Amino acid sequence: MTLPAKNSPKERDSALLGAVASGDRRALEELYLSYHRRLARFLSRFTPRYENIEEIINDTFMVVWQNAKNFRHASQVSTWIIGIAYRTALKSFRRQKNHNGEQNLEDYPVQTVDPTFDAEVHDWLKHGLSRLPIEQRLTLELAYHMGHSLEEIAAITECPVGTVKARMFHAREKLRQYLPTLSGAPPGVPSRIE
Amino acid sequence: MSSKRQSENSPEHHEISSLIPWYVNDTLDDHERQRVDVHVAACAVCREDLAVQNRIFEGMEAQPALDYMPAASLKRLQARLDDAQAQSGPPLAPSSDPIRQTPWRGWMAASIGALALAVGVLAADRWVQFEARMKQPTYRTVTSSTARPQGEAIRAVFSPTITLVELQQILDEAQLKIVSGPTEAGVYSLASSSSLTVRSSLELLRRHSSVRFAERTLPETDSGNSR
Repeated sequence: MTLPAKNSPKERDSALLGAVASGDRRALEELYLSYHRRLARFLSRFTPRYENIEEIINDTFMVVWQNAKNFRHASQVSTWIIGIAYRTALKSFRRQKNHNGEQNLEDYPVQTVDPTFDAEVHDWLKHGLSRLPIEQRLTLELAYHMGHSLEEIAAITECPVGTVKARMFHAREKLRQYLPTLSGAPPGVPSRIE
Repeated sequence: MSSKRQSENSPEHHEISSLIPWYVNDTLDDHERQRVDVHVAACAVCREDLAVQNRIFEGMEAQPALDYMPAASLKRLQARLDDAQAQSGPPLAPSSDPIRQTPWRGWMAASIGALALAVGVLAADRWVQFEARMKQPTYRTVTSSTARPQGEAIRAVFSPTITLVELQQILDEAQLKIVSGPTEAGVYSLASSSSLTVRSSLELLRRHSSVRFAERTLPETDSGNSR
């Protein structure tokens, strides 16, 4: 399926999904190629294994193929597809967590190294993010890495806006505990919040 | 101090504080943005929080992300769709309405289908055996000289996790360009993009762990640019 170049990305996605709903495999391929990079970059922040990333993306597009006819345009196509990927990823990460044993921020010692340099801040940030509960981390990544609005995240995660705000609040608080120098505390003195 | 605590406990403070992440990622509407601006100007706690969130946002932005080539993954998706379609027949196609059938009709159709499939597999198997006896092997190696794209000098297979950037760097270093591929087996046909000899390009390719396989497709003739 070839669409006019003048179409906006939203119109293009909508037309492609309509074609997918009528059984057009080429349209599905176009949609897949246009979303693969965005989804792969997002998922690579949670798992380093490309096999896992590919499995989540391909599972997502199997659902897109089978359910395109049920899409009612209540949200943008991108929100719908990312929502499917979010739920597929959540299931996959929960399976991995059960397999590997749960690891939360509380299980790890507080920071005792001074992250004076940016590289160290990035390193600690990476560690801090990896220790957040998965729903909180996904919320943070959807906002800060993917650039989604509050309402879009609520649609993607199928949660009320208040739940999204609460998850974000807890993620922020935990990161502040884990990264005291980000909040201005002296190095080596963890800023545990009462 | 007491006025600060009072401010921290106010509903306005909590509401604005909860909007700070979306102020940082610039997705608030103008009205909400102005509310945050006004509150932050008067609230030291939110100013500090805003600074922290900006650092986290910038830190997450700065973390490198890998790019993956989707072609091989798409082929695996296509294979899954083919399998699913073969198993369930036309109803998998999203446009098709579910066909209302009585159970016995479904079983009969499935039995006929299975029988036809078995006969087909048997016939195909016999045909393949006959062909194998009568003809050249039907498989192709990656260095097979048949159906060679124009200019092809080398065939190579890269790691499935190689990024576009890495692939381009390797090709630039070996002074090669892609003229065809990847095939279903992930084989790329490469042509020389400079006067560098094929042998030198091969040696440069083989230094990289991301290159799983690399062979010339033409016999080596001399030390010059044997393309």
